[in-house]
Amino acid sequence: MASVHESLYFNPMMTNGVVHANVFGIKDWVTPYKIAVLVLLNEMGRTGEGAVSLMERRRLNQLLLPLLQGPDITLSKLYKLIEESCPQLANSVQIRIKLMAEGELKDMEQFFDDLSDSFSGTEPEVHKTSVVGLFLRHMILAYSKLSFSQVFKLYTALQQYFQNGEKKTVEDADMELPSREESERKMEKEELDVSIREEEVSCSGPLSQKQAEFFLSQQASLLKNDETKALTPASLQKELNNLLKFNPDFAEAHYLSYLNNLRVQDVFSSTHSLLHYFDRLILTGAESKSNGEEGYGRSLRYAALNLAALHCRFGHYQQAELALQEAIRIAQESNDHVCLQHCLSWLYVLGQKRSDSYVLLEHSVKKAVHFGLPYLASLGIQSLVQQRAFAGKTANKLMDALKDSDLLHWKHSLSELIDISIAQKTAIWRLYGRSTMALQQAQLLLSMNSLDSVNAGVQQNNTESFAVALGHLAELHAEQGCFAAASEVLKHLKERFPPNSQHAQLWMLCDQKIQFDRAMNDGKYHLADSIVTGITALNSIEGVYRKAIVLQAQNQMSEAHKLLQKLLIHCQKIRNTEMVISVLLSVAELYWRSSSPTIALPVLLQALALSKEYRLQHLASETVLNLAFAQLILGIPEQALSLLHMAIEPILADGAVLDKGRAMFLVAKCQVASAASYEPLKKAAVLEAAIENLSEAKNYFAKVDCKEQIRDVVYFQARLYHTLGKTQERNRCAMLFRQLHQDLPFHGVPLINLL
Amino acid sequence: MAASSSVVPVVVSAAVVPALSSSGDFSNLREIKKQLLLIAGLTRERGLLHSSKWSAELAFSLPALPLSELQPPPPITEEDAQDMDAYTLAKAYFDVKEYDRAAHFLHGCNSKKAYFLYMYSRYLSGEKKKDDETVDSLGPLEKGQVKNEALRELRVELSKKHQARELDGFGLYLYGVVLRKLDLVKEAIDVFVEATHVLPLHWGAWLELCNLITDKEMLKFLSLPDTWMKEFFLAHIYTELQLIEEALQKYQNLIDVGFSKSSYIVSQIAVAYHNIRDIDKALSIFNELRKQDPYRIENMDTFSNLLYVRSMKSELSYLAHNLCEIDKYRVETCCVIGNYYSLRSQHEKAALYFQRALKLNPRYLGAWTLMGHEYMEMKNTSAAIQAYRHAIEVNKRDYRAWYGLGQTYEILKMPFYCLYYYRRAHQLRPNDSRMLVALGECYEKLNQLVEAKKCYWRAYAVGDVEKMALVKLAKLHEQLTESEQAAQCYIKYIQDIYSCGEIVEHLEESTAFRYLAQYYFKCKLWDEASACAQKCCAFNDTREEGKALLRQILQLRNQGETPSTEMPAPFFLPASLSANNTPTRRVSPLNLSSVTP
Repeated sequence: MASVHESLYFNPMMTNGVVHANVFGIKDWVTPYKIAVLVLLNEMGRTGEGAVSLMERRRLNQLLLPLLQGPDITLSKLYKLIEESCPQLANSVQIRIKLMAEGELKDMEQFFDDLSDSFSGTEPEVHKTSVVGLFLRHMILAYSKLSFSQVFKLYTALQQYFQNGEKKTVEDADMELPSREESERKMEKEELDVSIREEEVSCSGPLSQKQAEFFLSQQASLLKNDETKALTPASLQKELNNLLKFNPDFAEAHYLSYLNNLRVQDVFSSTHSLLHYFDRLILTGAESKSNGEEGYGRSLRYAALNLAALHCRFGHYQQAELALQEAIRIAQESNDHVCLQHCLSWLYVLGQKRSDSYVLLEHSVKKAVHFGLPYLASLGIQSLVQQRAFAGKTANKLMDALKDSDLLHWKHSLSELIDISIAQKTAIWRLYGRSTMALQQAQLLLSMNSLDSVNAGVQQNNTESFAVALGHLAELHAEQGCFAAASEVLKHLKERFPPNSQHAQLWMLCDQKIQFDRAMNDGKYHLADSIVTGITALNSIEGVYRKAIVLQAQNQMSEAHKLLQKLLIHCQKIRNTEMVISVLLSVAELYWRSSSPTIALPVLLQALALSKEYRLQHLASETVLNLAFAQLILGIPEQALSLLHMAIEPILADGAVLDKGRAMFLVAKCQVASAASYEPLKKAAVLEAAIENLSEAKNYFAKVDCKEQIRDVVYFQARLYHTLGKTQERNRCAMLFRQLHQDLPFHGVPLINLL
Repeated sequence: MAASSSVVPVVVSAAVVPALSSSGDFSNLREIKKQLLLIAGLTRERGLLHSSKWSAELAFSLPALPLSELQPPPPITEEDAQDMDAYTLAKAYFDVKEYDRAAHFLHGCNSKKAYFLYMYSRYLSGEKKKDDETVDSLGPLEKGQVKNEALRELRVELSKKHQARELDGFGLYLYGVVLRKLDLVKEAIDVFVEATHVLPLHWGAWLELCNLITDKEMLKFLSLPDTWMKEFFLAHIYTELQLIEEALQKYQNLIDVGFSKSSYIVSQIAVAYHNIRDIDKALSIFNELRKQDPYRIENMDTFSNLLYVRSMKSELSYLAHNLCEIDKYRVETCCVIGNYYSLRSQHEKAALYFQRALKLNPRYLGAWTLMGHEYMEMKNTSAAIQAYRHAIEVNKRDYRAWYGLGQTYEILKMPFYCLYYYRRAHQLRPNDSRMLVALGECYEKLNQLVEAKKCYWRAYAVGDVEKMALVKLAKLHEQLTESEQAAQCYIKYIQDIYSCGEIVEHLEESTAFRYLAQYYFKCKLWDEASACAQKCCAFNDTREEGKALLRQILQLRNQGETPSTEMPAPFFLPASLSANNTPTRRVSPLNLSSVTP
């Protein structure tokens, strides 16, 4: 089931789950690129109304905003952009830059002197307070602030920029053969470069401030939403190191490096980066006057909180608690309710690891609503729902709560929480044994791509909710015997969540479970046994349970019994009801397999009571199946039949294929058993019906490759046909049985004693 | 490396420098003196001023040579003669720091000396321009990007020469410096090692090597020439790597063989003592050094730190004024003045002077840390954090900065948060009790008493500087009602104090005696109890309690309860304990909860 704590990380580039770029205080500096844009603006002003058509002008205006606010781009790219909107203007811009770059320093100076003219006159071309006007004034101001040597540097930078652009265009335009002399020089240069190239690759040159910001926010959002699309951890770290080498004060890079280190589970480096980030943040917070002392204290609190999050992520719960206490104390001292609220949520997450008290959680939700923190509030609600679902609350209440929180999500466009909510619904339906509903919800989440307008173009692809939904989808398909589809889903999961990523364990467990079930169905117990170790590594309780099942199948009853008893006690202690019922069922099976069905009865009744109480329909019907079987063995087939009628409907509607087959098989057995006392005519009719049921069961078993069960069914059918005197059909079934019987080892348990 | 170095034409050493005696062999001091004088001349000719200074200083410490022993200047080769005019002119320009001009006139010269000067002036010109550039760059991001443009070209040219094996010892040195500046550490180390093989006398190459070696392991794997210079190098690097014992040993050896007058060695010894907090020794050595070399500015910042620690105001003031007279625009001077103001609690001014020191040399590590301390004093925690972080940026191994960061967060009442920083500091100085005590205090605040106990015990075991670890440990045991351990700790504490023989007022002494008195009283060891109670009476705060206890003891004794001689006496008086019962100071590995780095 989707757990929530992942999204609680305090991310400075994010509020309420939305990533913001541009959180860094930007100071404008004149760069060659900016000069090029200025030239463009100037040209636009100079060309009168007539020269440029209305459509072109409109396109140009649309182009301007991204040019003004975007990161620096190369000259050739800029030309191309302008050309796309207005070719003739591109030409004149190109000529002017060429003149300026190939001319003298005074050309540039003249250009900047002329710039301010655009404001003057009775009808100025540019309004002073417009976006363009502000940009122009910024640039003029920044230019006039430059010292003499800086002006010269700017000019050489412009020349460089121009030459790079030229080179590119020349290369693009025609691959002119270099002259002999040039090629010689080139040779020499290459020779020199060979040794240097390696280091050049590693530091691909400094980024400008805006480029760096763009890079950081892009990678951060990719890490959050679609990890596979982000750079690989190693190369991202390289980029970050490069960035930090040139500007050690770029605090956000440290944070990204922290996130990156989390990806590879490197506790040392991630702690280091996190603390470094906050050390840096503290000083920027102190510098900016708008935040003042408040900003400084705030980052301290969040620093402690993040440290707690980090420790929690790495499973150091005790350390996390200490850090959290610290955060809470500081937040309390400075009366920061929002931070306290975050702490409270974390406190719950930590508490959840130990015991399940929902008092904290309820309190947290109330407080979050009070402080107007929709994100935390719905996270709280979701945790609460999850917790209540395990505690056996009725479905309608839970669904109501989820619906209410969904309203909140849609209102605030919290797409991430919508995903979690749907994943949770999938899980809850699955828990209650309603596979159709679960299937529907899972499909709903996967086809949510149409919600792009809500997500504002952000595709969240590697969240936990997707992993959960896809995992359920795979299991559901496997249950219905669509193994190809299931493995397809798993393949997709593998691509989306590479094995070392955070949520990979989820699908790994699904994969192992499906493989285990198939191996068991096939009767390859040794294979199943080897899978058990894998499952145990991912989930110890599940592992022990499966181990017991394998032992049982291999007729090692006493070992299985020991294991199951231990597991039962443990699960009762941690209140894992689902597992308790499964274990009880296994214990019951163990009893009637060892020919003491009377002892199995109270165990089964206990399981039934539990599953009814917690409304676990799937388990309840399985229990009924077991009960009916026990009754059959005890010689009251009529009772068993009436019991079965109660359970058959939900099983056929929602149950796994294997369960369906078992149910039909059992029905047939009961029919035969109860027909013993009937008069011949009626008996024949009943037996016919039983044969029908048996073939249905056979179909189900065939879907999931249960050869053993098919063998039993065929044997039964053969006997029935014999009774009815249909020799031809009997012989056919008998032959089938013989084929299957030769393939399969015989386990020494009488056929009748298998459910 | 050794193989390649033998192939390199050993121009200088083959021509003029006789083979150096092997490591540790200082029997022929005259020979050494001759070599030092020679190299001092060679380095001076090439503008390597610091190496020249070092060699000359060392040579000065050895007895003077008679006229007959003095070496004639090395013979002038044909190449040298050709370049003589250009070289003379360029050297003059070089000396007045007109590097570009010098390089211009040296272009095309073939002799080794002229070639080196040519390359070196180009390098220095690049460095100078870089420093000037940093002042006016085009933007905040560009600030860190200012590079020495000449480095690339120099590297390419030098690497060609290197491959052709045309570089002499000085050329290799310059190549190494260029590589280091380009952050190619591995290659740089190789080249420096080669340089030391070709020209072991050049101290600059050794010194550069010192800066590049980060740990003892690295040192082990270097194949260094087996000469007497290696001894100096090893001593120096041991000091750098905080292996003080080994360093002191080496320096002592050097003094024993006849370098006793060398101010360099004396100052290094003083620094080493400073590093192991042996303040008195360091102070006396520094005082001696000042007498020998009154106008020395180097290492005076360390001296001022010592004076600061001992709060010797008048001495520090004298030193500050003296240095200010000698040269007020030296990093060390600024540092001393900063310390002086800090001691007078004028922290703003102190910070100002540290800032000035940083302006003079942005890579001067100590000033960042000291500035952090000043900001801490001013309660400006954010500025302090900034300063400490800068210090760490310059040198990750600066334990004082890590410790300072820890303290800052401790002041901000974030004990868990500061654990990380203290741990870092502890990693760098595993045997420094201050970090351990700080760690222990943090754990105590976090109520992690087990961890805290480990820290205090370890702090005691590695030799507690402030003598507080035992008391704190005892108090912890008291809290945990482990009275026996508590009593034992107090006993050890008292023993420690008495064995030190210091007459420093220890606040906790009374607490210790009070606890012990009560403890013995509970154990019904009347003699011991009354002895301790009597001690209590010597202190103001426990006098009343002591008297009361004495009365009680007297009362109980009078009631006829015989002092239980047959009772198992767990402890004796401190005096009897000292000889046989002191626990061995066994340093067990500090196994703190290891989940956090």
